[in-house]
Formats: sequence, structure tokens, C-alpha cells
Amino acid sequence: MQYSQDGLLRAYRRMATIRQFEERLHEEIAKGEIPGFTHLYAGQEAAAVGVCEHLDNDDMIVSTHRGHGHCIAKGCDVKAMMKEIYGRREGLCKGRGGSMHIADTSIGMLGANGIVGAGAPQAVGAAIAARAEGKGKVAIAFSGDGACNQGTTFEAMNMAAVIKVPAIFVFENNHYSEHTGDKYAVATDKDIASRARAFGMEVWRANGCDFYDTYETMAELLDHVRGSGKPASIELDTERFYGHFEGDPQRYRAKGEVDRLREERDALKIFRAHKTTDSLLELAQLDTIDADVNALIDAAVNEAREAEKCDPSQVEEDVYATY
Amino acid sequence: MAALKPFTMPKWGIEMTEGTVAEWQVKEGKPFAKGDVIVLIETDKITNEVEAEADGCLVRILAGEQDTKSVGALLGVMGPQGADAAEVDAFVASYMPSGGGDAEPERDAPSPTPSSSAGTANTAPAQQVRRSEIAKDVAISPAARFAAEAAGLQASDITPSGRHGRITKQDVDKAIRGSRTPALKGPIAVTGQEEAYASPLARRIAAQNGVDLSQVTGSGARGRISKADVLAMIGGSADTASAPAAPQVEEGVGVVPMTAMRKTIARRLTEAKQAIPHIYVRRAVRADRLIALRESQGKPGTINDYLIRASALSLLQVPEVNVQVHDGAIHKFSHADVSVAVATDKGLITPIVKRANELDVAAIAERMGDLATRAREGRLKADEFQGGSFSISNLGGFGVDGFDAIINPPQGAILAVGKARNAPIDDGGEIKLAPVMQLSLSCDHRAIDGVDGARFLAALAELLENPEQL
Amino acid sequence: MRSVAGRGRCLCDILMGHTEMAVMNVREAINQTLHEAMERDPSVILLGEDVAGGAGTAGGQEAIGGIWGTSTGLIGKFGPERVIDTPISESAIIGAAAGAALAGMRPVAELMFADFIGVCGDQLINQIAKFRYMFGGKARCPVVVRLIYGAGMNSAAQHSQAFYNLLTAIPGLKVALPTTPADAKGLMNEALTGDDPVMFFEHKALYGKKGEVPDGVHRVPFGHARMAREGGDVTIVALGRMVSFAEKTADKLAEDGIGCDVIDPRTTSPLDEEVILDSVEQTGRLVVVDESPPRCSVATDITALVARKAFSSLDAPPECVTAPHTPIPFAPELERAYVPGPPAIEAAVRRTLDWG
Repeated sequence: MQYSQDGLLRAYRRMATIRQFEERLHEEIAKGEIPGFTHLYAGQEAAAVGVCEHLDNDDMIVSTHRGHGHCIAKGCDVKAMMKEIYGRREGLCKGRGGSMHIADTSIGMLGANGIVGAGAPQAVGAAIAARAEGKGKVAIAFSGDGACNQGTTFEAMNMAAVIKVPAIFVFENNHYSEHTGDKYAVATDKDIASRARAFGMEVWRANGCDFYDTYETMAELLDHVRGSGKPASIELDTERFYGHFEGDPQRYRAKGEVDRLREERDALKIFRAHKTTDSLLELAQLDTIDADVNALIDAAVNEAREAEKCDPSQVEEDVYATY
Repeated sequence: MAALKPFTMPKWGIEMTEGTVAEWQVKEGKPFAKGDVIVLIETDKITNEVEAEADGCLVRILAGEQDTKSVGALLGVMGPQGADAAEVDAFVASYMPSGGGDAEPERDAPSPTPSSSAGTANTAPAQQVRRSEIAKDVAISPAARFAAEAAGLQASDITPSGRHGRITKQDVDKAIRGSRTPALKGPIAVTGQEEAYASPLARRIAAQNGVDLSQVTGSGARGRISKADVLAMIGGSADTASAPAAPQVEEGVGVVPMTAMRKTIARRLTEAKQAIPHIYVRRAVRADRLIALRESQGKPGTINDYLIRASALSLLQVPEVNVQVHDGAIHKFSHADVSVAVATDKGLITPIVKRANELDVAAIAERMGDLATRAREGRLKADEFQGGSFSISNLGGFGVDGFDAIINPPQGAILAVGKARNAPIDDGGEIKLAPVMQLSLSCDHRAIDGVDGARFLAALAELLENPEQL
Repeated sequence: MRSVAGRGRCLCDILMGHTEMAVMNVREAINQTLHEAMERDPSVILLGEDVAGGAGTAGGQEAIGGIWGTSTGLIGKFGPERVIDTPISESAIIGAAAGAALAGMRPVAELMFADFIGVCGDQLINQIAKFRYMFGGKARCPVVVRLIYGAGMNSAAQHSQAFYNLLTAIPGLKVALPTTPADAKGLMNEALTGDDPVMFFEHKALYGKKGEVPDGVHRVPFGHARMAREGGDVTIVALGRMVSFAEKTADKLAEDGIGCDVIDPRTTSPLDEEVILDSVEQTGRLVVVDESPPRCSVATDITALVARKAFSSLDAPPECVTAPHTPIPFAPELERAYVPGPPAIEAAVRRTLDWG
């Protein structure tokens, strides 16, 4: 795989942005200023970025309730995202959606979604549109080890295979669906990817904490999908550092588990480790990016805090285009 | 129980309170068909036929010819031919007119009901109703129980509508009311201009009033024409249900909705003409000396300005005419505020020359000039045309010989002036040709008698025929 | 006293000089509309179970032509990428329609029986209805879901329900129920031109109903009711198949001198409130006819509207003529007792008149 310095720096920046965005949110949420439910993506950065770095604005993704990472990886405006999470008027969705419903359809981000499994059929539909466009674009459904059990996921995989559209089912297995482990909840004689295989589509597996592995595996997958127009699936083995939602006491974790994950399965650390053996980048460049991102997130939070709140008189706008 | 129904005195129009049975057209006990005339009823305005709305039979006639009965009173009993006499007696005995005397302009009193089987016979309660008691185990709401017992009803008299046969207050109200038939309006032909984007009712009202929907701007969602938009074009009131279909407008006839001012004039003059007993007192006066004086004074004002002054002075001399007439009271004035009719292109308006008795002719002329100009420009203030006790209306300038004017309430009188035309007069025993003006004084006879009007005209004539005093 | 039902020609038809009127039934009108729309706009696609029929079988494609006959001929003309036979996967079908719409297409998804809302409810209620609002007005989801509904064809409890009330209650969706071929075409064209999701209810027993249909892009605005009969004594609002029963009843009552306004709302979301209230203000009496069961239905919604906003015009309590609070029975006698008909409507009208 041929990498460019720019490409790698960009990938790292994206991952660092996701990490710091989520870590900062974890702090701010504890202060009580942010309304509602938030589901943090910290730990899964390599999955989102490893996939989305292959995509442009005409490729489409559908995300989950844990959608901040996919949003950032797809190129959504970070400050507008922060304002949305704070429920402000200038948020990406005018404060109407919040954390679970962040979207920017103009760049192919068809929304985070509060219903587990709802996205898979929507990606099939987006893939129908991609096929009709005829430009070799794809539609990706991000799912987890929870959504992989929803009926909608099976229906979507079946339908994608039957009608032959370029839909890609990315299963980010972070091993917990809410408070239940994948070893219990996912009935399979092998793994999640093998279920997709049973629908006759090609499947891949990769390390979802390692950008390089994910990126390179996705390259193969996308070649296949863009070339054949047929659906495919990939299972990414990854980890989430926080709870299902902010406020989850995480009693289901083993003692010291998260510390160990942050040591051994930290996507940023793994990325840096690659760089000690590859001379395309300097670690100092990565440090600069970290500092940049820090400033960006800081600014985002400050602006979001100061940003204008929503106007109650506008509550009825945007239900319909015309009524 | 036979299905006996009351046949009552109908109510036609708001004001009718009673009617006289002029002539029965059917015989007691003999059946009639839908459309047959049952009886002729006379009111102080008209004699009307009461037509049968369905086949039926008048099993008992209670009112004799030339009997006068109140609206809603029982005139007879409708029922099946050969109904049991005792039952009919009982029905008559227990009948109390329900709501017949109320002034409900929208709804006619119950007209002869068709003999449809409505279940309950008329159960209008008699005035001293004996309370009933409904068993404790009957499913009935507290309010319903109270109302039913007060009306003397048993549970079996009431058709329940609640769950599991529970009786509601509405069910009791219905039982007390009994069956009624409304006055039906009937089907309406679906009206045209379907291609216009208008609500169906807007379309109907437009068709009934000759409004072309393509000329109407819609204020509804996405520009739909609503009822209000059509009504605004007509300028009418909200209730057009009772409006008869407007006469078809011929080609070339312009339909102009009345302006607010025109409507006000219409309303006030209608009130005046209907409510005030006008008497008209007339006098002809020689105007030659007045005209000569005016010339010699250098025409400080028009003839009308002289008339204003003369009238003002006359009003002080005959204060019985210088009044306003109010409900039960007469307001007497010690000065003369004289209203003068001015024609504007929007209609007639009467600005007031206040304290005209204190003004000389030149001052009156100046005042009138200003008032008339502002009247035509629509710039008068309210107190400049509301009030006064007397008006002058002069159509002499248009060649009118004489006319009778309508009083402007609350004023007591109005003087109508015609053109001064040459006519032979008795000038000290000789016949001479001189300009003669016809004056007509309309007086409100509730407050001003003919004698007072005559005395006023005498005083006025004296001043006009010997005008040096002006 | 017979009045002519509105033909529903709209201003744009007149302007475009469309004076031709073909006679066809509702099924044909829908089919023709889909043909014309797919011809005009390449982003219109159709998906559903057996919308072509015969995929993967010995009989070959179009062995069925759509089980209601509304999509015959489409696959032949537009190909399998625009006319998509799907597996039996309601959630996936409606979800795919949602995704395709977000991605810029105008999908028409068929739900073979409206009862199957139970299977795909999330995609309708939580996804399609809410995208525009949740995404701050920056997304559009112009899906048309065609739901086939209604009792009277012995299809029993799980294949006969009239669920327009459930979807009317969901903000973000629009709901249409055409009762004539012209309105089927007009409302479908309007749905395919607008940017909002539309739930398009087609009554199975109305497919054969004939009527005149204007040529060209005939459109009927949403929230614009049709007055099928006019009269001054009672307002009858009827939904779907019930409109023709209300018309029959009104014609019979006209012989007794009783005049009825028969209102066909055509869409329940948005609802033409104005025409209903204006009519009740004239007549003072309301009867609503709805084949749904009586709780939380469009009938109760309309009755409440009138009670709140035209209370002082009412001369009698409003009447709802509905199905009973039961599932739809199978045996023909029982189903006949379930579906409201002209006798029940007439009795309700007379009850309102009995209040004087």
C-alpha cells in the first residue's frame, strides 16, 4: 500500500480530533451542561477513519447512536457538531437533533441514528441511488455487535445481495452491546462477518484499533465493491473506552480492563508505534497535530457554551417542506 | 302509546308573538296528504298557509276559527287516524308549550311533525312536575339522575348512550326535549367554478353572490381562496346561510358593494324614516327683499348663509323647535347649532355651524366655506357633524321647487329649501312677480307639534321677508 | 336534486389547455400516473414485493404484474434497476426507500397490506417522519409509501385494517386517501412533486371504481377537500370508501328534503379543517363516517375539532359512524356488520335532525 505523508497526517488528525472531541465531552458532560444522552466513540477512531479515508462527499455513510466518530471522519464541521451537542441554534442540525441525530447529508453523512439497526436498510437505499448515479460510489452502514442481531440488519444484507447494490456493512465489534457481551449475545459458529458471508457476499476482517490494517483491508473491499457493484461486509475488532452512554457505571468491565485497553489497544498509540518503524512521518509532526487539535476542541467548547440558544417560537419549523 | 304530536302556532319572523286561526282547511279526524294546506293563520302583517310536511291526520282540533293564540300554543293534535280519544285527552292535558314563546330568530317553532316513528312521545314536562325516583342500581351519572328525577322521568323513559347502557345527562336532556324536527334547508346544487383553487364553501358563496373567483386573491394556505376572502369581496356579514340567492346580475350591470359611509347613511336614514313620526309644515316666502339686501350688502354670503342665520334666530324665538329628541326625553337648547347639508361624492354629510345665532352672515359664510371644503375632503372631526338640533337642506341650486327632507336624529326638525322662482304674489293688494321660495319643515311629532312648526315658519318668514333684521 | 360531484380539475390543467378526460378505474389511474411520473423524472423508482413479480421463477419476470395490478408494464419500460422486486422484508423495503430518498431519489415503496405497518413501523415513524426535523430542516426525504388497506373483501383481521389514523398522528408524515381515479392521480402527482414523505392509502375495494381522469400532470393539493354533495342540513365527513356510501345516503335523504354537505377530505394530514368548520357553521350538525374502530381515530379527531372550534354552531351532538371496537371478522355476515354502510349513516343523520 502506498501512503502519502499528507494522507497519513490527515488520517492522524482525524483520529486525534475524534479522540479529543470525545475525551473533552466526557469532562463537560460531567459538569452537567449538556442535555440528554451521549454515546462516546473514544477507542474506535481507527475504525471510522480507516474506512472513511477512502471516501469522498458522494460516497454515503449511515451511522449509529455512537456517531460522533463517523461524523468527524466523514468531514463534518467540528464546531457545528459541538454546538449541536450543546443544543444550540447554530448546531449542525439547528439544535433539533442533538448527539444521536447529527447529520450532514450534503457531504454524504446520512445521520447518526437512535434506533439500533435502523441504518442498515437505509444504506441499501443509498446504494440504490449510488448505482443509479453510475459513478462507482458506495453506501456504508456502520453497525455494532448489537445491531448485528436486529432483524433489519439481516433484511438489509439479504436485500443488498438480492438486488445487487454497492452497500457495505461495517460491523464495529467493540464487544459490548449496551451492557451485554458479544460472546453471549451473538449466536454464530464463527463471528459476525461469517453471518454476512452466509448471504453470499464477500467479507473481510481487520483490526479496528489499527488504522493501517483497517485502511488496507478496506482498500481491497472497496476495489471489489466499486468494481462489481455487489455488497460486501467487514468486521472490525475494536474497543470503546467509555460506557454505552455517559453515565453508564460500567460494572460489566473486568478490573483494570479499560486501563489495559488504553495501553494495548489505543489507536493513536498504535499509529505512533507504526511510525517508529516507518520514516514517512516524524513524531514531532504528530505532536503538533495533537496540540492543534487541542486548541480546536477548546475553541469548539467555548464557542458552543457561548452560542445562542434555540428560540422556542421556532419549535414548529422544518417539520414539513410545505404543509 | 300512539305517536301523537302537537300542532302548534308557528312563528314567522322575529316579531310575531301571536296569530289568529283564520280558517281550518282540513277536517278533524280526516287524513291529509303532504303538501295539503292544513290551516290559514293571520298575523298583523299577513295571512299564511300552513302546509303539511308529510301525510298525516289532525286527530283533534283545539283552536276555533278567529281564535288568537300565542306562538307555540297548542292548536291541535296530530296522530294516526282513529287514535284513542282518551289518549288524545291525556296528551292535551299534559302538554306544555316548550320554548314556543322565546324569541329565537333563527329557528321556527316546531312545525307539524311528520309521522316518523321517533320512539318517545312528546314528554315536555308539565309545570308542576312530580319528582320521580330512579332505582339506585340504575347506571346513571349523578347529574343525569338529578335532572331526570327533577323532570319526573323513569329510567325506562330514557335511551342511554353511555357504555354498558349507562345514562348520561345528555340522554336525559334528549328525553326531556323529545323529538323535534328542524326547519330543513334541503340539498344545494353543487356550484360552479370548480377549477378555481377555493374552498368549497367559498365557491358556493361566490356563486350565490355573483363573485368571480378569478378576481379574488386567496389568503388561505398556498393561496387558497377562503370563505372570508369571498365575503370581503361582498362586504357582507358572516351569516349567509339565510341570505337568499342573489339576483342574477345582467350583462353591463355594475355591482358595487356599499362603502362604509353609504351603509351608515342607509342605516341612519332607514332608522329615522321608520322610527320618527314626521309631519311636514310648508310655507312659501317672498325672497325679493332678501336678494336685494344681499346685493346691497355686497354679498357677504350665499342665500343659504342668510337662511342659516334666519333659522338660528327663529329657533331662539320658537324654542319648541330647537330640541333634540331622545328616548323618553327632550333636550332643549338655548343656542342654535345648525347643521347644513353638504353633498360630497361619497354621500350626504351635515357639518354644524355652532352657535349660528351669535354669528353674522359673513362669519357664517366663512364658517360654511371651511366646513364644506373639509367635508368634501373627508376631513371633518366627529363633533363637527354629530349633534345639533336643526338641519337645513337646500336643493334650490339644482332647480328643485320643493321637497320634504328626512330628519337627522336626534335632531327635532329639518328645513328643506327649494329654488326661489318668480311667481305672482300679493304685494299690498297688487299682483307682482317676485322670487318665491318653497320651504318645508319636517318635524318630529313626538316632540314638536304642528303648531310649533307653524310658529317657527312664521318667525322664519318674517325674518326672510323683512331681512334687515338679519 | 342530484348534484354533480366535483371533477377536481385544477387551475394548472385549465391553463395548460387540458380538456381531455379519459374514463378509467382507480387501479388504472395509479398505473398511468406511475408510468408518466417515471417517464418524466428518472429519480422516481418503485420498490416492493412483487411489484413486477416472477423474479427467479420459471414463469419469469412480470408473471404477476403487481398483486393489485397497479404496477403492470413498468418493469418492461423502465427496467429492474428502477422497478425493484424485493424479498419479503418490510423494514428493509421502507428503510431502503428512506435511504434512497435521503440520497436524492424519489422512491415509491409499496406496502402490500397497510397492516404491515407493524413490521416496518420504526422506519416510518422514527426515521422517515423525523429526518427533516432532526436534521435541522437540511435534509429531505420525499418517499411515497403506497399502503393498500380496507375491509370488505373477506381478508380478515390482519389484512384489512385502515391505519391512516396511526400515521396521521405522526408529525412529519403526510397522509392521503384518494377515493376517485382523478384524485388518485392528482394526489400521487402532488406527492411526487413535493419534498415531504407521503403515506398514500389505496382502498382495495376501490380499485375497480371508475371515473373521469384529466390528462397531463393533474395535481390535487393536499389539505384541500372535495365537496361531493352540498346541502344545508347536515355535514357528513367521510373517509376513503365511506365517501361513496355517504353520497348514496345523501341522495336518498334528498328525497325527504334533507340536504347534506358530503365532504371527502382526500388527505388527513394536512386536514382541510376550514371546509369542515365552515360547513358545520352552516348546518349545525356533524356526522363522521370512518371504517376504523372508534378509539383514537380520524373520526374522533374531526369530531373533537368541531366540538372545540364550532361548538356554538352545533345544534345536535356530533355522530361518529365507525366500525365497532373489534378486529375485522372473517365471515361475510360479520364483516358486513363491521363495515359502516348507508343505513347506519342515514340513522346517524336522522338522529342529529331529531334534536331539532
